[in-house]
Amino acid sequence: MSAYFIPILFLVIFVYAIFKKVKPYDAFCDGAKSALPFAVNIFPYLANIFILTELFEQSGLSNAVAEFLSPFFRFLGIPKELTKLVLIKPFSGNGSLAVLSEIYTKHGVNSYLSRCASVIYGSSETVFYIAAVYFAGAKTKNLTLPIIISLISSFISCVFACFICLII
Amino acid sequence: MNVIFGLVFIISSVVLLFTSPESVLTAMLSGGEKALSLTLKMVVIYAVWMGVFSLLEKSGLANKFAKTLKPVNKFLFGPLPEKANDFMSLNISANILGMSGATTPFGIKSICELEKHPNTGYAIAMFFVINATSIQIIPSSVLALRSSMGASSPADIILPTILATLLSTIIGVILVKIFIKKKV
Repeated sequence: MSAYFIPILFLVIFVYAIFKKVKPYDAFCDGAKSALPFAVNIFPYLANIFILTELFEQSGLSNAVAEFLSPFFRFLGIPKELTKLVLIKPFSGNGSLAVLSEIYTKHGVNSYLSRCASVIYGSSETVFYIAAVYFAGAKTKNLTLPIIISLISSFISCVFACFICLII
Repeated sequence: MNVIFGLVFIISSVVLLFTSPESVLTAMLSGGEKALSLTLKMVVIYAVWMGVFSLLEKSGLANKFAKTLKPVNKFLFGPLPEKANDFMSLNISANILGMSGATTPFGIKSICELEKHPNTGYAIAMFFVINATSIQIIPSSVLALRSSMGASSPADIILPTILATLLSTIIGVILVKIFIKKKV
């Protein structure tokens, strides 16, 4: 079903544009040419985030932080097996997907832990990654408050996710 | 960002100095490599979506679509420049539909357009928080992974996910409204 969505959407856009006498070849190139300058812009920021994540992981710091925070998380109802997922999600989409599938294999895909992890993964975003990429070419760099707000909101919804998975 | 980067870098490096000093550079290089491959992927995604967008824009369809979302945008962001409104509407719809390829290019463009105008700090903050708290309705990647691993009912997480997503976005919007001042 969803496989049809994007092709049909593109088809509608192209047909409508031609109907409106837009030159499709020229227009497409016009839009696409901004892609390379964009890459030059975002690369340093992405490199920064990824190097940081790698160091954090390799040094064992991420496990130590997860260990340290898990009693606090458990107090709020987040099982200790999910601490790492909650911590890594704001930094890395691929990293957290790896943690998610690890939880699936370890605890069984139908378990409470796995359902809970799915909801946490599906309802949160890679906050730092978005901050880096969206603002790579921007003058505004002071994002402290918006980042804190996003992290708090996501964290509350993680607590909520663990609670609601007990009921539904 | 500078404080976080500095702190994490120093602490990680000090820890690695004692545990395995040779892996500091390896870790950094492998991080950089991952960033490069992601950047290349993003260039292609960006080129395709911005190409299609150019058609959308020149045919006037983008503007028509954005007009229908104007009341919602007005409530969230306050008055917006027209071009920014177009990109933001597309970014938010792509987010809701889970078209992850399209969200980033439109998001970047939205920020660029907003920055061209004075007093859009509030709108930028709100836009960022909405993007960063996830508004995706159907978590398609999770569903795919669950069914590939043989879940008995992969879709049973949809309802809780929607509720959690809504909750985080609502809290985010409220916090922005409280803590970030709207300059008019």
